[in-house]
Amino acid sequence: MTQIFHPRFGLVVKLTLLALLALASAAVLAWRGLTNEAHRVGEAVEQPVPFSHKHHVGDDGIDCRYCHDTVETSSFAGIPPISTCMTCHSQLYTDQAVLQPVVESWQRGVALHWNRVHQLPDFVYFNHSIHVAKGVGCESCHGRVDRMPLTLRTQSLSMEWCLDCHRAPQKYLRPRTQVFTMGWKAKDQEKLGLALVERYHIDTRRLTDCSVCHR
Amino acid sequence: MTRPTARDALRTRLGDSRGPRYWRALEEIIEQPAWRSRLHEAFPQLARLEPALDRRDFLKLIGASLALAGLGACSRPPQEQIVPWVRRPDQLPPALPRFYASTLACAGDVAGVLVETHQGRPTKIEGNPAHPMSLGATTPAMQAAVLELWDPDRSQGPVHDGVAASWDAFRAEAGRLAARFARDGHGLHVLGGRLDSPTLAAQRDAWLARFPGAQWHAYEAIDDDNALAGARLAFGTPLRTRHRVDRARVILALEADFLGSQPGSLRHARDFIAGRDPASEEFNRLYVVEASPTLTGARADHRWALDSAHIGMVALELGDLLGLPGVHAPQASGMSARRLRALARDLADQRGTSLVLAGRTQPPWVHALAHLLNEALGNVGHTVDYYEPAEPWVSSADGLRELTRAMAAGTVDTLLLLDGNPLYATPVDAQFARLLARVPHRIHLGLYRDETALACQWHLPRSHALEGWSDLRAADGTASPVQPVIAPLYDSRSTHELLAMFLGDTQSPRERVQATWHADDDAWRASLQSGVIPHSAPPAQHPRVDDAFLGHIPTPADQPGLELLFAPDPTVWDGRYANNGWLQELPKPLTALTWSNVALVSPELALAHDLKNGDALEMRIDGRHTQAPVWVMPGQAARSVTVWLGYGRRHAGRVGGQLGFDAYALRTAAAPWRVDGLRVNRTDAHYALATTQRHHAMEGRAPVRATTLDAFRTDPAIAQGHAQDPPSLYPDRLHGDYAWGMSVDLNACIGCGACTIACQAENNIPVVGAAEVERGREMHWIRVDRYYEGDVRAPRIHHQPVPCMHCEHAPCEVVCPVGATVHDAEGLNVQVYNRCVGTRFCSNNCPYKVRRFNFLQYSDLHTETLKAQRNPDVTVRNRGVMEKCTYCIQRIETAHIAADKAGRRIADGEVLTACQAVCPTQAIVFGDQQDPATAVSRQKASPRHYTLLEELNTRPRTTYLASIRNPHPALEDDA
Repeated sequence: MTQIFHPRFGLVVKLTLLALLALASAAVLAWRGLTNEAHRVGEAVEQPVPFSHKHHVGDDGIDCRYCHDTVETSSFAGIPPISTCMTCHSQLYTDQAVLQPVVESWQRGVALHWNRVHQLPDFVYFNHSIHVAKGVGCESCHGRVDRMPLTLRTQSLSMEWCLDCHRAPQKYLRPRTQVFTMGWKAKDQEKLGLALVERYHIDTRRLTDCSVCHR
Repeated sequence: MTRPTARDALRTRLGDSRGPRYWRALEEIIEQPAWRSRLHEAFPQLARLEPALDRRDFLKLIGASLALAGLGACSRPPQEQIVPWVRRPDQLPPALPRFYASTLACAGDVAGVLVETHQGRPTKIEGNPAHPMSLGATTPAMQAAVLELWDPDRSQGPVHDGVAASWDAFRAEAGRLAARFARDGHGLHVLGGRLDSPTLAAQRDAWLARFPGAQWHAYEAIDDDNALAGARLAFGTPLRTRHRVDRARVILALEADFLGSQPGSLRHARDFIAGRDPASEEFNRLYVVEASPTLTGARADHRWALDSAHIGMVALELGDLLGLPGVHAPQASGMSARRLRALARDLADQRGTSLVLAGRTQPPWVHALAHLLNEALGNVGHTVDYYEPAEPWVSSADGLRELTRAMAAGTVDTLLLLDGNPLYATPVDAQFARLLARVPHRIHLGLYRDETALACQWHLPRSHALEGWSDLRAADGTASPVQPVIAPLYDSRSTHELLAMFLGDTQSPRERVQATWHADDDAWRASLQSGVIPHSAPPAQHPRVDDAFLGHIPTPADQPGLELLFAPDPTVWDGRYANNGWLQELPKPLTALTWSNVALVSPELALAHDLKNGDALEMRIDGRHTQAPVWVMPGQAARSVTVWLGYGRRHAGRVGGQLGFDAYALRTAAAPWRVDGLRVNRTDAHYALATTQRHHAMEGRAPVRATTLDAFRTDPAIAQGHAQDPPSLYPDRLHGDYAWGMSVDLNACIGCGACTIACQAENNIPVVGAAEVERGREMHWIRVDRYYEGDVRAPRIHHQPVPCMHCEHAPCEVVCPVGATVHDAEGLNVQVYNRCVGTRFCSNNCPYKVRRFNFLQYSDLHTETLKAQRNPDVTVRNRGVMEKCTYCIQRIETAHIAADKAGRRIADGEVLTACQAVCPTQAIVFGDQQDPATAVSRQKASPRHYTLLEELNTRPRTTYLASIRNPHPALEDDA
């Protein structure tokens, strides 16, 4: 009986297998590239004005709530109206080129369109005010904004990441007085955290209920 | 099914009152084996799953969908933007809703409302608890006003001769007309609607003074002329009547639907139910005599069906029995002497605490007779008083007659049509369309470019009630301000602004309304905040009845033929809400019909003409004729046929066109409510009617429990089943800080359906359309089931609102393969949309049939205005996802966050579900059932408390209180 396949077929088979492997990895890479977030963690987001938290928070020491003034009362922390910018910038750096969009917006009454950095899916109902009230620091989710010349995301904002804290809030809680402080660290986080869970009446039984975040 | 079988069965049924005690539809009681076997009656959605494909095509499609399924997810989420204010108008946090007090006039009723706005967008209407005619409740039509505001079909700019024009062009036209009619206003006519607004009445006076000789007509298709004409007969002046139903112990309604379609229904319903607390000594008794079942009749202790023509005779016979001088019936009503004697005795025993009401369909003399009976029974000043309306009454029939006469005579030069659709909504013999074409200048102001707008040279878009300033007077005379909650979406003007344009009045719209009330800024601000203008209700009067009218009572024609009755459609009213999807899809009370009107016929008539539901009926009367789908209505008077106005619209918009039949084609100006001599013929045609009546059957397991007051007082536990929960294999869960529960008091439910539509507005529930409703795919999270009990000709009627039961041992949860429906710590059975893959196992395993599946993409994701309408706190669901009642989890979480931040417990009554807030009779109570002090715990401790299908041991959090009737002891077998 003669061979059905010619010996040279071995090469073809090997090449085909290699091509398949290459195709599969390309597909995986393409899939990763297409389905990840609008912007990556650690990637600065382009804005109409290169606003620097580093300058405003780190150098000038402005409190978070000066601009994000509804963070304690509302689900939305609040992006300041241009009028808030103009409390200083009607006097300071008025001739700087980078500030031109702000000045123009103020003079013409046309709103600025900022690109969202921390973006959640529409079926997640995140509320800033309750987190701040229960002792979750700004830094825990937003990172050291006082060191960010351009604002970027430092956390994945995935559900797994949310649950990390919701399952064991003691790992991250800080006293209410330190919520807006950057770079604060507890001496013994576990012990303090457990005490704060108690003190702030955090009902850990329901923190991982679906209904807490999804409606 | 063959016709003779159904017919025989119905005949047997009419002769014999055995059979199931509770039933929902005639088909069920007839017990056709063929009906039983038809799967789609109970689960219509399954019937359409029969494959239309062959095997090969099916495999091809499934392969292709599998291949494409992954690709569907392959895109990055879009980059969102944040657009802050340049200058923020005030310091309110942007994500918190704001409530503005205003007033709405919907479907002939006026009530104060609170409009919820999110970032300036009105999303939901709540009743205003401070308004005496709302007390926190609203009607279904008021709930739907917010959808009307955002309706993409609304007229968006002025149109002249079919071409887009501008308001500037019209202003020039108005200037020319004003100058022309300034000295002599003859030839200038205005046709408006009901004059509910004091500011509009003032403008009318200014108009007539400015243009001497001009005429102002008022026309409403559904008017209360008979009530006012009746008061004029009795008192000499057209006084309005205020009923204090809460003070009445015995109530007789002569075709008066005071719980449903009559003005002031919200207040009357609250007061009526307040007088029916089984725990208290006092318990009222309601007698209703009517031709066609209404919501009021459904709640009656004694509902006696009688043709409309003879209802006045009942009142006369009653007056005779009570010994009123000069009162005797020229013809027997046909009501048994036993009933009349018991009723007369009951009324006489409750002197000063009884009440007689007459409905808008009864002629003026019946109203006058009701006033006479109330006077003789000593009720005036107790359960009823009168007031002089501040705005003059213009009879609707007279208004239309004068106008059409002038149009026919050719003396109308310019006709200004203020917000009405007379081309459609006028009786056929007025020939409005033909006469309108003869008017040289026609100007129409309206929300939509409707039939009338298309027949006018000028069409001007009107601002919605939520977009402008005005004021309105409610049924008790209380006035309240209407304030805009959003700037007009389109290039529109309010009626006040349009009139001001002619009058050269340059006041701002707000100043004009404020000037009507001579209020300084502080007083005005206080009125706007409370939503009521203080001391605006006219004082009560107690006039004497002049019984001269008794001499002119017409004898009903002594003919055995059929009578035709007209009624407003229970949801779309006179046709003005035809383009409102929420109202179209709201199952109409009693019939559970959607998307169409019908001709209601009695079972006897159906038998005589071999009719069944949906058969096309040819109706002829004096040369007028139309064809209508039949609905066999249990409890309908034998010789009465009722048609609903409001359908058959030709230019209503994308939602409301080409639905139902136009009943105005049978109506005449002389007999707007009732006419004798109807002839009917069955045709072979058949209409597909979308009704939810037979959907979601519960296989006759006595879901409603009802008993009589006497039986309840003898044995309070009569409605209760098992006292102790039987053991269960399901694990018991630990409770959280709260255990949310709901109680629905069937003794309070009047079946109005406001809960269904409030839920729809609150929870972004989509409209699915007639074809999908027919397949049983309606999406309402709370439905109102209606059960009949007993005899087909005079059934007792029960209502039962059914939301999700939030079972502690939920059968839906154990069958979900992906954990998309789970319990939370506070006892809610939550549906997680982002986990759901649409297996529908849960809905198959739900014994209460409360789960709804998005078979198609029902939510409109593309129309901009509809996006703006939605509640931002609730996910908009997409195709392929199961959904159901959440106990308004967004409201619970909002209260939770507020309480948790303040470090306190959520107070009882702090969380109101949408259905609870809207309920006119407070039948729904929600709260923490773990705390014995809460309202819901007190309800659940009632001896009337029971659990739906408790034998299944699902331990629902939603439970019911049994209904109690209070029949006359002598008539217990004759309710």
